[in-house]
Amino acid sequence: MKTYFLNFMRTNMPADFSNAELEAYLDESLPVERMAAVEDALRQYEALEQRMIAINGRRDAGVHSVGEIWRRHRLSCPPREQLGSYLLGVLSNEAADYVKFHLEVVKCRYCGASIEDLRAQQSAADAGAVTSRRLKYFQSSAGYLRRQD
Amino acid sequence: MPDTIRPDTLLVQQIRTGKPDAWNTLIAQYEGRLLSFVQSRLRQRAASEDVVQETFIGFLTSLPNYDTRRPLESYLFSIASHKLTDYLRREGRRPVLPLSSTANSDGGAWDMPCSARPASSIARSGERRGMEEEAVAQGIADQIDAWRTKGDWQKIKCMELLFVCGAANKDVAAALGISEQQVANFKFDFIARLQSLVRKQRLNEDVFPELYADEHAS
Repeated sequence: MKTYFLNFMRTNMPADFSNAELEAYLDESLPVERMAAVEDALRQYEALEQRMIAINGRRDAGVHSVGEIWRRHRLSCPPREQLGSYLLGVLSNEAADYVKFHLEVVKCRYCGASIEDLRAQQSAADAGAVTSRRLKYFQSSAGYLRRQD
Repeated sequence: MPDTIRPDTLLVQQIRTGKPDAWNTLIAQYEGRLLSFVQSRLRQRAASEDVVQETFIGFLTSLPNYDTRRPLESYLFSIASHKLTDYLRREGRRPVLPLSSTANSDGGAWDMPCSARPASSIARSGERRGMEEEAVAQGIADQIDAWRTKGDWQKIKCMELLFVCGAANKDVAAALGISEQQVANFKFDFIARLQSLVRKQRLNEDVFPELYADEHAS
């Protein structure tokens, strides 16, 4: 199944981007390689830019699409604990198969990022770098921390 | 029985009282996944860390607008997406669309990605749109839960490919190893459920054209 879909994604011509993909592009949630493909196509095909403008116009008019609601609310994303269980190999076969589908076929960017983070935590090889990064984030943002009454 | 307060809600409450320890905890919990998300797109470590840094600052500056009913992780990812988009536009990697409703991330209106649009361009009230979106999101979530409970994973995959990826029926059928007729049947049932929900909640059918496309075509 995976190979079929990878081929489908690769051979898709720019004009064949689905509206669901273009909506995901606008929300920065399309798989990375498809984001790059849309950007390349936008520079070459004016018709694609017109489709994007039409999608923005539809959104501004308040028209919904099922795909954008599903994606925005992350309705089928497995919880983080389940992603951890997937890495540990303790999910049931059916549940593990779905997580694999969500990560490798749908290529959910948020769950992909989460699972990369969990993998890094498991290895903990760069613990020093993580600590120093967190300190940097804290020091650069703590000035914005305010008591809100 | 009152609802149990989620750990994230408590954490945000503490951050709202200005507690540095709570802020430190939030950074520790979320920076790894945010960095992975940004870096998968930028492929540059230093630039990715800068975007994550802007994301955390963006979170604190938008905190008065944050509704804790919204999952914290999704909220942080949405800020990161906007900061990433800004960065890519500045770098010339992401083409700027004329009259784009997602032109920039200023304004701190993070409640919904769509709420960052200029008010003058919105034909209907944001409150109404939010309510419509919430109602349909809940309906889809309930359906997904029912499928999960029954172990009907194939239907979840089928709808995800059709609606989230925008794949055609024949591609979905080939990917899942089922017939096109089965895909069409699953899709018909799913749309019928959503149409029923729209009717029951007395939502405007015109703002869900996808659900009525076949009726209008016939």
